[in-house]
Amino acid sequence: MNFNEARDLLWIASIFYVFAVGFGFASTFFSKNSFCKQATLLAIVFGFFLQTRGLYLRGLEISGCPLGNNLERIQFITWSLILTFLILRLLWKLNLLGSLCSGMAGVFGIISLINGQWDHPYWMESTYQRLFSDPWIELHASIAIFSYGIFALLAIVSGMYLIQRKSLLSKKSGIWGTFLPPIHDLDHSAFRLLLVGTLFLTLSIVVGGMHWVHHPEYVTSFKLFITLLLWAGYCILFFLRYSNRLFGSKFAKSAISLFIVAIVSMGFVNSKDRNANISSIPVQPRNGQ
Amino acid sequence: MGSNEYSKSLHVLGSSHHIADLAVREKISLPQDKIDEFYSGLSALPGLEECLLLNTCNRTEIYGASSNGFSPDLLHKYLSDFREIDPDFLSKHSYRHSGEKVVRHLFEVTSGIDSQMVGETEILGQVKKAYEDACDRNVSGKMLNRLFQKGFQAAKWARTNTGISKGQVNLGNVLCELARRIFGKVSNSRLLVIGAGEVAESAMEAFRSRGSQAITVTGRTFDWCPLSRRKPDELAEKFGGFALSFSKYQESLHHFDVILTSTASGRSLISASAVRLAMKKRPSKPLFLIDASVPRNIDESVAKVDNVFLYNMDDVSLIANENLKSRMAEVERCRNVLSKKAVRIWEQMTHHAIPSTSVSQSTASSS
Repeated sequence: MNFNEARDLLWIASIFYVFAVGFGFASTFFSKNSFCKQATLLAIVFGFFLQTRGLYLRGLEISGCPLGNNLERIQFITWSLILTFLILRLLWKLNLLGSLCSGMAGVFGIISLINGQWDHPYWMESTYQRLFSDPWIELHASIAIFSYGIFALLAIVSGMYLIQRKSLLSKKSGIWGTFLPPIHDLDHSAFRLLLVGTLFLTLSIVVGGMHWVHHPEYVTSFKLFITLLLWAGYCILFFLRYSNRLFGSKFAKSAISLFIVAIVSMGFVNSKDRNANISSIPVQPRNGQ
Repeated sequence: MGSNEYSKSLHVLGSSHHIADLAVREKISLPQDKIDEFYSGLSALPGLEECLLLNTCNRTEIYGASSNGFSPDLLHKYLSDFREIDPDFLSKHSYRHSGEKVVRHLFEVTSGIDSQMVGETEILGQVKKAYEDACDRNVSGKMLNRLFQKGFQAAKWARTNTGISKGQVNLGNVLCELARRIFGKVSNSRLLVIGAGEVAESAMEAFRSRGSQAITVTGRTFDWCPLSRRKPDELAEKFGGFALSFSKYQESLHHFDVILTSTASGRSLISASAVRLAMKKRPSKPLFLIDASVPRNIDESVAKVDNVFLYNMDDVSLIANENLKSRMAEVERCRNVLSKKAVRIWEQMTHHAIPSTSVSQSTASSS
């Protein structure tokens, strides 16, 4: 185990997140022991610290924001998810949400680490140049990925809404229903997360767009199309919810579907225009970055 | 107070819902105005150094600490004489414990596993009140102080570490719990009660106790409600709510978060179209409807409207029963742990010095 090796740190962070899920569920469903509650938060904080250090070390290796391959992007999204949760945790006690967030971070983290191809060492290639030659593009990418973290949290909150709703409609006391937050609160939280996430995504598109106007050759048409489609999707979802035309279970399902589209599209979209002169192109992360 | 703590023992004589029905309990229970007199005679019993009376609607229990040589029969005789009831009748409807079994019994009482409604928390408050009363009268000493302090700790342990208090079992509380799962704070949700049946009263009481300030009652007639024999406006006044004219409630549905019907009317009082209209005015805010009437007062198709949650009495009773079952499943586990705790506490109280005086004598034939 090397604490100066990014992958090792990301592995330990994922294991801490998995521990957090175990402690979180144990404290929620089986024991009211305060140790489990404290252990959940501690595991999340430790995991977050190690993940931050892992991404920092990877950033030093590539001399930029680590968003060059699938592993880095997924780790950055889960890092954003946990960061958003920790900020919210300062305001509200959200133990079960913490368990679900760390669950998602743990599972996605482990999947990204197990799949070796997702961590292609692009920075070792002889043709490698600094990932982001322009700091504005780096800012654009990091804000976009951060917005993905918020959308991940929105998807989790929407999932909680659907579970609570199903539990209420089934007319049984149900183990989940008792511990999940009220659907009214979940609906409000989802709306606020959608607002914040959409604002961040819009900001990243504005920043990226300013660069794209001067260097349109850097971005493929497909990436542009998918990015704008996703952004439009979240904007439409926001306005439908704002005007009370889409709410409740339909809104929750739409939020989850859009997040799945966002994650899946990451794997298909390459920001680099292969026809452009490679030496002059800053390699960009995919989809909305 | 005796100087030698080691030679003391504990006793309890009591009658509860387990062994006596309501009519019997009424005969044994002590009227409030007789408590002073009862205590003065009780504390004068020879050999009884400390005493405490727990007198609730479901149980009458006398706890005592004594020097060796005290006969628990004296407690029995004193109570039967005081209440002027036949000693054999009292024997048949009462139980007696001594020594460690008193500790165990008190632990079971304070934790709520001995209560009629398993896991209820009201009993703990009643025991605390009885203990404070005994302290004020200077009839509780070292033994009983320690016993009851440990009893309060045991109750806290049981509620924290077992599921005996998990889930609501009272219908009004079940409704409040459902409302909490939909709206969050019950105090912020607006309740409309149509009719004034017993369930309505129970729900209003539960909502009121959770701080709900917006309770409205309406009824077909303000003169008399056949179910509760109460006027809706009287009911509104009792719970600090408002009375609404029956002709206005249909057009006001959208103002309320929780609507409960509890009438004897045979016709539908809330139709699907009325709910759809109301939901248009509050599209993103859920509506919780409870139909506590037989025959039902709310159109069943209302449940298909988005963001509307419709429950009838069968649904609510099912949840209450499920919760009760899950509490019952925890009782045995709780009892075992409390029993071990009682042994330990009793050993500490007696400093391992006196031989076991854990003679339990239940005079009830089957208890």
